[in-house]
Amino acid sequence: MKRQLTITSDPIDEAALLRERSISNGMGAVIYFLGVVRGTEGETNISAIEYEAFQKMVEHQFYLLFDAMEKRWPIESVRLVHRVGVVKVNEPSLWVEVVAPHRGEAFAACQWLIDEMKRVVPIWKKPIFR
Amino acid sequence: MQIPVHFYSYFKDLTGCEQTSETVVEGSTLAELLKKLFQRFPKLAAMERSMLVAVGVDYQSRDYILKDGDEVSLFPPVQGG
Repeated sequence: MKRQLTITSDPIDEAALLRERSISNGMGAVIYFLGVVRGTEGETNISAIEYEAFQKMVEHQFYLLFDAMEKRWPIESVRLVHRVGVVKVNEPSLWVEVVAPHRGEAFAACQWLIDEMKRVVPIWKKPIFR
Repeated sequence: MQIPVHFYSYFKDLTGCEQTSETVVEGSTLAELLKKLFQRFPKLAAMERSMLVAVGVDYQSRDYILKDGDEVSLFPPVQGG
């Protein structure tokens, strides 16, 4: 399974990521997920979220998740971008692409990856209030 | 042995620092290290139940036996995405 992980403080360039897509002839499903900063934290308006990461452990934990994905589903590739630093409301903080032969495994693997990320990958949020 | 301890997220506010070190005897567990840290940082003790603990870049349980050269990180539940 090909895997590409990017942790960056730069805005996510979705167009560039799409241009770089590479899938083989046997693949029939490409799933994308975009995590976007919401404008509220509870009932309070915010202007942005500041993401903090324990970078070395983030990379290690993501690669453990990719290994587990590869064992569980026939995924051809996964690409993931997570921002760190300040991300404004309505901007994406997370971009995920999963390529697989069929939609069943692509959807399942993508959901699992995001659910597990939220459980084990050491990234934290701090809301910035208006 | 001296064990470096790193704090992340609001644990830095609770302790007033990003990192510290703690002296423990050979064969000490993470639980024993934490007990000493909680004496120094009582506000951190209140987070014990939800606290996540890593040695290096891997999560470890409280009964992990520390070795010279280990680096410990303490942080609250993660919030990626």
